[in-house]
Formats: sequence, C-alpha cells, structure tokens
Amino acid sequence: MKRKEMIYMTPMPVRIWHWLNAFGIVTLCITGLQIRFPDYINVFGSYKAAIRLHNTAGVVVSISYLLWLTYYIMVAKNLIRIYVPTMEDLKSGVFRQICFYALTYFQGKPNPHHSTPESKFNPIQKLVYLMIMIILLPLVIFSGVLLMYVAPLRELLLLLGGIKILVGTHFLLACCFTSFLFVHIYLATLGHTPLAHFKPMWNGWEEEEASTAEPHEKSP
Amino acid sequence: MNLCIRITWFFLTVFIFATDAVTAATAQNIKCMGCHGQTEFLKASTSRAYIDPVKFDSTTHSIIGCVSCHDKVSPAHPIDGYIPPKATCRECHTPVFDEYAKNLHASKAECNDCHDPHEVKLPEFMSGYDINSKCAKCHDSRKTVQKHSNWLPQAELHIDSLLCITCHTGSKNYVIIMTIETRQQEKGNNFKTATYQELSELAASGEVSTLIDTNADNLVSLTELREFNRNLRGRNMRLWGMMTPEVVTHSYSILENRWDCSFCHASGPKAMQKSFVAFPDGKGGYSRVAVEKGAILDILYGTPDFYMLGTTRSTPLNIIGGLIVAAGLSVALGHGFFRFITRRNREESDHEA
Repeated sequence: MKRKEMIYMTPMPVRIWHWLNAFGIVTLCITGLQIRFPDYINVFGSYKAAIRLHNTAGVVVSISYLLWLTYYIMVAKNLIRIYVPTMEDLKSGVFRQICFYALTYFQGKPNPHHSTPESKFNPIQKLVYLMIMIILLPLVIFSGVLLMYVAPLRELLLLLGGIKILVGTHFLLACCFTSFLFVHIYLATLGHTPLAHFKPMWNGWEEEEASTAEPHEKSP
Repeated sequence: MNLCIRITWFFLTVFIFATDAVTAATAQNIKCMGCHGQTEFLKASTSRAYIDPVKFDSTTHSIIGCVSCHDKVSPAHPIDGYIPPKATCRECHTPVFDEYAKNLHASKAECNDCHDPHEVKLPEFMSGYDINSKCAKCHDSRKTVQKHSNWLPQAELHIDSLLCITCHTGSKNYVIIMTIETRQQEKGNNFKTATYQELSELAASGEVSTLIDTNADNLVSLTELREFNRNLRGRNMRLWGMMTPEVVTHSYSILENRWDCSFCHASGPKAMQKSFVAFPDGKGGYSRVAVEKGAILDILYGTPDFYMLGTTRSTPLNIIGGLIVAAGLSVALGHGFFRFITRRNREESDHEA
C-alpha cells in the first residue's frame, strides 16, 4: 500500500528566484510581442509603456539570473551536481526519459527518474535547463542589454554584425523561451496529481508516494 | 490644324525666351561671381559678400540669376559704395512664407537664418545630417538629446536617425534615406557623413554612386546593397539610415501625435518599403538613388545598422520564430491529447499499486 511522504525539495532562495524569473520572462514575452507587432497587439496601452516594462522586466530577470548563479556557485555549491548531466545520463538516461514521455507514460508505467533533493532533475531536464541557464539566458540578456543602449554601445553592435543581427538573435531566443514555457508548464502537470510539481515550487515540500511502513519527513 | 501650329509656336516661343533668360542669367552670374566668388572676399570684413560658386551653381536661385533678387545694383557698383537692396523671400515664396509666419518659430528665426539663399537646396538634394544641422545652429545637439531623454527612450539614437522636421512639422510620406558614413577617429564611435572626396577616392569609376550601384543602372538592388554592406566591415564605414519626410512643410510646432511612439513604430512594414541612398554630388548637395522595394526589411545585410522596432521587422524571421513557438505548443497539446485518451492506463496502474 502506498503512503505519502513529504520531502523538502526546493529551498527558499531557489523558489524566490524561480517565481521572479517566471514572472519576468512571461512579462518579457508579452511585452516583446507588443513591441514586435504593435500594429496587431496592444496589451499595455502605449508602445512606450510596453518598452519601459520590457526593459524593467529585463533588468529584473538579469539580476535574478545573477542571484541564481551566485546562490548555486557560492552558497549551495551544487550547480554541477544538479544541472550537469552525468555520462550515464547522456548514454542511457536521456533515451530512457524520452521513451517514458513518448511511450511508457501512456502505458501507465512509472517515471524512471525519482526526484530527490540531491538529484532533482531527470536527464532531459538537466540538459535543457543547462542549455537555457548557461547559454540561452546569458545570450538573451547580453543581446537585450545591447539593444537597451544602442547609441553608447554602437561599437560593440557593429563588431557583432549590426543591430539587425542582434535584434534577430534576441527575437529567436525569445521564441525559444516562449516555446520552452509551453512545454515546461505542461510537463509540470505530469506529477501524480496535476499540481504535484507546482506545490514544491511554492512551499518547498514535495509530496512523494512511498511504499515503506512509517511516514517521515526528509530535508536536504 | 491651325490650333496645332499655334500651340507649337507658343511652346517654341516660351522655350526660346526661357532659354534666353537662363543664358542671360548665367552670363550675369558669371559677371557677379567674378568678384563675389573670389576667396579674397572671405576676409572677416567682407566675408558676407562671398558666395561659394560651386554651391551657388547647384541652387535653383542660380537659374533665375543674381539680378532677380539684387536688381538695384548701380552701374558704378562697387566703387560708389552703394549697397543694393535685396528681394525678400516672400516675393517668390508667398505660400511657404505665410505658412511659416503662422507659427511660433517665425518669431525666433527668419528664412535666411535657416536657408542661405546662395546655397539653399530642396530637401531631396540634401543629407539628413545637413538638414538637421540647420536646426543645430540654434538648438544645441547635446541639450536637445538631454531634453528629449526626459520622455523619449534612447533619445540619442532617435535624434541620430530622424530629421527634426519629421516630428516638429506637419511633414508626411516618410522614406528611409541612407548615407555612407565614415568613422572620424580610428577607434571612436564618431561617424560623420562621408564627403564626396572620400568616396570618389574609393570608387574605381570616379562616380560615387557606383560604390553601391555597381552596374550603374540608377537603382540599388538588394544584392548590391548586401554586397556593399558585407564589404563595409573593417573599413571604418557604415551605411546609416534616417527616416525622412518626402513632403515637407514649414508648420513648425510640437505635434501631439508625435508623442505617441506608435506613430512611427506601429506603422507596419508596408510603410517601410521605400528607401534611397543619398550620394554626395561634389557640389555640396546630394543625389538620391532609389533602392529596391522592401530592402529596408531585409533580414541581415540590407540595412544592418538601421532598425525601427515594430516597423522594420523581417517576415522570414517572424515565420521561423512562429515555427519555434508552434513546436513547443504542439508538444504540449499533442502530449496532452494522448495523455487524455490513455488516462485509463494510468488509473489501472494506480489501482494495481
């Protein structure tokens, strides 16, 4: 018989960062949509309001990113363990996880990855999050900063091939983030209940189904 | 038949008189410029009487001739010391004068303060930088940027890419005018419109427009524009674009609708189809060469350093971006669909457990 077990999965600094980041990125996506297609979309009243909000959200996400990096490198010191896939992950873990999402999940088989505070992410999550946090997010922040200060940073813009290349890169990266958001939010509903993965991101505690005799609490 | 002959005679007469008048004006101009075109006149006390002959030659005023405005020059000029009066601008330009007189700017500056009648050109024969430099004679550029920064995001960039008259007059029908700029210091971020001299040294044929319009067909194709921009890298040059009105008015005021960014930024890509490259003509003016329609929207090398948020977006890039977003959405929706139709499998597994 199954019983419930509470695991302290997500420490508070990570949760604060996550929601700050989430709110910031959603704001960036919507304001970005108005900035690129102002003749079709007007969510924030004026064009200037959308630009100001976009810039503010960009600064918030950039600061939040720096906090995230500082926390994992200086405080938690487990960035590599949590985010970098192991050889085992790359050899078979990724394939196993793809098989689960694409096939065995529909057959009712259990998730091959079991989240613990030490190994929070499955191999696909590790790969995707690593790519986002180490490549895409720094790139989108960098291109965004250049676009916020076009005149003073003109020299750097010219070195990188001009404003059009930069705007194009920023836009395509934003599309990748929007695409990721849809998949990310959807996959978060794949817990044993649709909200099972949302709760730990709110209060830190994840409800696990365990088969041992006595219920107890674990924390990292 | 009689009517045809009469019309022919009429046009022939007009043509002969007009040609005669122009020839007479040219002869008169040569006489005046014999003295007024001499650089000796540049000495402080007489500098106002100096007329740059090259610049004057390219003005419409040179066609009607010096005496059209200075008709009271005495036979003993200049020995008699009599300074002849000159015509007022209003005498010929009444509609413009009346339009200008109606607004506040008229009390601050007269026609001559902005337009030197011996150098004046129509806007299509000027660069954006030259047009703005008329305003900068009174409106200090640094202060202008500072003042605009109070409400305008990226004020410096806007002021570099727009004519003042785009927002401060009722001008309309906007096009993008590109000019070749050269870097002033080797490593500085200080670009200035390239001079005829600089460009003619680079053009093998001596004709500066062939720097971009390589086949000299008087139309810059997108291929030519891309090629030029690719070659620009590392040459301390750039192609700079400015949003310029085609129809210019003298109704100076702060227009309410220009406070709204969407006046320019939400005009849509269709508004940005028309562009020109302005080449210096060696006479202090510029000649425009039309650019292939839609070049301003090219994804990369059409105008790599000119981009107007919202308006010059590239359609191919929008499609690629849309596909990326659609891919993410499809994964979520597709998986969700199969998840729904296979829900019983998971319910059974839960019961078994």
